[in-house]
Amino acid sequence: MSTYGTPGAGPAAHDPSTLPSDDNVDHYTFCVELTGSQWFMQKGKMIAYYGSIEFNGIGHGRLDRLVRTSFHSPLHASDWVVAEGSGKMLLADRAFDVNSYDLEDGNLTIRSGNLLAFQPSLSLKQSIVPGFLTLIGTGKFVAASNGPVVFMEPPVRVDPQALVGWADCPSPCHHYDHGYLTGVMGGLRALTGLGGASGEEHQFEFVGAGTVLLQSSETLMAEQATGVTPGEPGVPGSGAPGGPGQPSGAPRLPGQLGDLQRRFGL
Amino acid sequence: MFRLQSSKVLAVDMTGDAVKAKNGSMVAYDGEMAFKKLSGGGEGIRGMVTRRLTGEQMTLMEVKGHGTCWFADRAAEISLVGLQGDKLYVESSNLLATDGGLRTGTSFTGVRGASQGNGLFTTTIEGHGQAAIMSDGPAVLLRVSPQYPLTVDPGAYVAHQGDLRQSFQSGVTFRTLLGEGGGEAFQIRFEGDGLVYVQPSERNTIAGDV
Repeated sequence: MSTYGTPGAGPAAHDPSTLPSDDNVDHYTFCVELTGSQWFMQKGKMIAYYGSIEFNGIGHGRLDRLVRTSFHSPLHASDWVVAEGSGKMLLADRAFDVNSYDLEDGNLTIRSGNLLAFQPSLSLKQSIVPGFLTLIGTGKFVAASNGPVVFMEPPVRVDPQALVGWADCPSPCHHYDHGYLTGVMGGLRALTGLGGASGEEHQFEFVGAGTVLLQSSETLMAEQATGVTPGEPGVPGSGAPGGPGQPSGAPRLPGQLGDLQRRFGL
Repeated sequence: MFRLQSSKVLAVDMTGDAVKAKNGSMVAYDGEMAFKKLSGGGEGIRGMVTRRLTGEQMTLMEVKGHGTCWFADRAAEISLVGLQGDKLYVESSNLLATDGGLRTGTSFTGVRGASQGNGLFTTTIEGHGQAAIMSDGPAVLLRVSPQYPLTVDPGAYVAHQGDLRQSFQSGVTFRTLLGEGGGEAFQIRFEGDGLVYVQPSERNTIAGDV
C-alpha cells in the first residue's frame, strides 16, 4: 500500500522474494505460489505472474484425472482453468476485496460469482441451491466480495443480496415478514410497492451450527453459470416437472395476482 | 511537491511552479491558481497531430500558482512515481498529473496495445520530477530483474518504467478455437530491469473472452 503523506513515495515494489506465498498482497490482490502444483481458477482472473505457469482449460485431456477427482460440476467446466507450473501468480477480480479461507475436512457453500480459485485438494460441486457451489474437503480457496466479509453465527436472518455463502451446514431457508405482508392491504403493498414497502420483507434464515458469510454491501457480484442440473424430476432448478400437485408454469398475465392469490386466500 | 491526501486524492503544494493534470480533475484548491487548457497535451502542433493520429488523445491542463491544489478522478486509486531522468510508459487514460517540467510524448507499443484495446501507442513521461498515475483498485508494483522476468495480463497493465523489453505471448492454441482456452490467451512478458504497475482489475479486452 502507499505510504500516505510521504512526498514522492509510491507503493512498495514487490519481487518473487517479497511476495507472500498463498496470501494477500493487499486487500484486492492475492498471491498464489505454485511449486509444480496445480490450482483451479476462474477464467481470466490472473493479473500477473513470475516464473513459468501454464493455463489450461478443463477440457484438456491431460487434466482428466484431476478433474475427475476434484471437479464435479461438469457442465460448468468451461468457466474454469487449471494453473500449473512453478512461480508466483497474482489473482484479482475487478478491484473487489479478495480473501482466502482454509477448510479442514469441512464444507462451504458459496455464491458462484464469488469463488475465484481453489486448491485441487478440495472438490467443487454444484449446490442443490441454484446459483451456489459447494466445496468439500481440506484446502485453501480464494473468494471475492464487494466489501470485506463478515462472519455470523446462526441463528441469523440475512438480506439475500448480502449473502456470500455458508459453512458447515446451517439450514438455509426463505423467511417472509408475514405480519407485514398478510391481509389485502399487505398484498397490495407487496404487489405495487405503494404504501411503504421497506424492501426488507424477505430474508434468508439460517439456523443450526455453522458460519454464515456476508459481504458488507448489497451489490451482487456478477453471477457465474453453475451449469444446468440433470433434467430429472425432483431436482431443483432442473426445469423438469416436479410431479403431481405442483403449479403449472403458465406465464403470468399482467394484472393477475399470481401466487399471491394463493398466499392470501383470495 | 506531490503528496497523497488519501489513496484517492492527490494534493500538490505549489510555489509559483506549474503542474500538468488531466482536464477537469481538480477537486479543490487553496490559494491563487490559474488553470489553462493545453491542447494536445502541451506538446505543440507536432504532438497534437501525433496524438490525433495515434489515438492516444489526452486533454491536459496546466495549473500554476501558489498554494495547494487537490486532484482526483472518478475515485480511482492514485500512485506516485518519482522519475530521475528515466522514462515512464503509461496509458493516457491512467495518467492523472505530472510535474510541469516533465516531457510527455507518445511511443509505439506494438501489438500489446492492440490486445488490450488501448490502441497501438502509449504515453511516455521523461525527465526529473514526479507523476501521479491512476488505477482501478490500488496498483501493485512488481520489480522485474534479469533473474525474475514477469508476465502480465494486458487488461491489468497500467504503467512501467526502467529498462524493460516487452514481448507479446500468445497462448492461443487449437484448444482456444474449440472453446477450451486457458482464459489467458494474450500476455505481455517483461524482461530486463525495471518496475511494472498492475491493477487488481481487468479492462475489457478481446483476450478476456478467449
